[in-house]
Amino acid sequence: MARLGYTSREAFFAFRRAPLLTALSILTIGFALYTLGAFGLIWTNIDRVLSDIEARVEVVAYLDDATQPGDTAVLVREASTYPEVDSLSYVSKDDALARARADLPEYNELYQDLETNPLPASVEIALKPGFRGSEHVREVARRVARFPFVEEVKYGEEWVDKLDFLKGLSVFLGLTLGAIFAGIAFVAIGATINLVLLSRQEEIGIMKMVGATRGFIARPFVLEGFVKGTIGAILALALLTATYSLLEQRVVSLAFYTPGQVVGGILLGGALGAMASFLSLRRHLARW
Amino acid sequence: MIRFQGVTKEYPGRGHALRDVSFHLRKGEFAFVTGPSGAGKTTLLKLITMEERPTAGVVRFSGFASDRMRRRDVPHLRRRLGVVFQDFRLLKNRTARENVAFVLEVTGASASQATPRVLRTLAAVGLSDKGDRMPAELSGGEQQRVAIARALVNDPLVLLADEPTGNLDRGIALEVLRVFRDINLRGMGVLFVTHDRSLIEEFPRARVIELEGGSIVRDSDPSDG
Repeated sequence: MARLGYTSREAFFAFRRAPLLTALSILTIGFALYTLGAFGLIWTNIDRVLSDIEARVEVVAYLDDATQPGDTAVLVREASTYPEVDSLSYVSKDDALARARADLPEYNELYQDLETNPLPASVEIALKPGFRGSEHVREVARRVARFPFVEEVKYGEEWVDKLDFLKGLSVFLGLTLGAIFAGIAFVAIGATINLVLLSRQEEIGIMKMVGATRGFIARPFVLEGFVKGTIGAILALALLTATYSLLEQRVVSLAFYTPGQVVGGILLGGALGAMASFLSLRRHLARW
Repeated sequence: MIRFQGVTKEYPGRGHALRDVSFHLRKGEFAFVTGPSGAGKTTLLKLITMEERPTAGVVRFSGFASDRMRRRDVPHLRRRLGVVFQDFRLLKNRTARENVAFVLEVTGASASQATPRVLRTLAAVGLSDKGDRMPAELSGGEQQRVAIARALVNDPLVLLADEPTGNLDRGIALEVLRVFRDINLRGMGVLFVTHDRSLIEEFPRARVIELEGGSIVRDSDPSDG
């Protein structure tokens, strides 16, 4: 208990002892985490747009005009058992015409004088998340096309592949750049903590000489790193919120982090600060 | 209590700091270690605190031996030693009392145990009324007394002093030496490193170990080292 009191007292004493260095460390950590957070936000929004587009991926099976209601029921029943399928809806010839009239009013005159309805009935098949990639879409299309009364199957083959590529690129860039930005934040945090340690090298030497254990010396610094990281993360969050509000009002509607992600981000800042302290300390405490 | 057995210390690229040094400092003994700059005096102290390990030979102290010592045991060895430096090495942002109490804090003593011990130790070095002063508010001699109190507060078996009077005027240096002598009279061993021969003459009965070029060239009271 006495040790715990010492650790927290020393960690907070450090803030009073070197307020300028403390402020500098927190600002550096704050800006490093802001850069990381801003990148994360951009990536989240790109991912959201791609996911929205992907949600619209569907397989449409156009039916022969001679198709009997019983045949359609067989198709719907069987396709609904496919693991990839989320929901199905039958669009009759009349529904298709009504939809075309509503969607394309500029061609309404063309539809007025029709003797017969040229649009085919169809079954629209929506896919579950995780099954919207080109491989699954093609597989569902292939199975549906085997029904003899299915005249044609469409699934936007020309952009499903592009979407796949964009999703892959987004994940790759997200992970690579995210790791680089996290690395930069980590190095920046480590450098500021190192400055603190250098300024207190003499004190560390005295502690070693009077018989302090490594853990005893390290704990206040690690706690100090955690607190600085947490405050830096809160600062980064405030800056991100301000940037987000500005863009949201003036430029474009964007998604922000969820409350869970915000809490996670603040804890990540604290953990980065503690870890950077710990790693810098290892160098300072290597010689005993 | 402290035993050097054929100890050699060589620094890569810098040659030998100590060569085949053997001596035994007995319990409660006072010994000066003297010699010119670069003779190996400070290295000898660093080997006792295990800040350095011998290249050959063994250093033994209070059940610890340099050849079997694990790194995690070093703090425990140091708690049985008191070390005083030429440049005092006090924590500048703490009062004299806090500097002394710091050692007890490091070893996990509670505040209720620590306070009377700190006050008693400050009184023993003649600083009862200056406990609340910051180091910068104290004279050189007083700062060195705080450093001695810090070295004493944990009841070490032996006090190591590395040129403790090197930064002090002659009169103050003699006062500090007297403090060490009083401490020794109460039964604590002292290894006092100095290159100041006139200081040694003030304490003619003390043992003198003289180093030169890393070897012992004279030991006024050689024992079974």
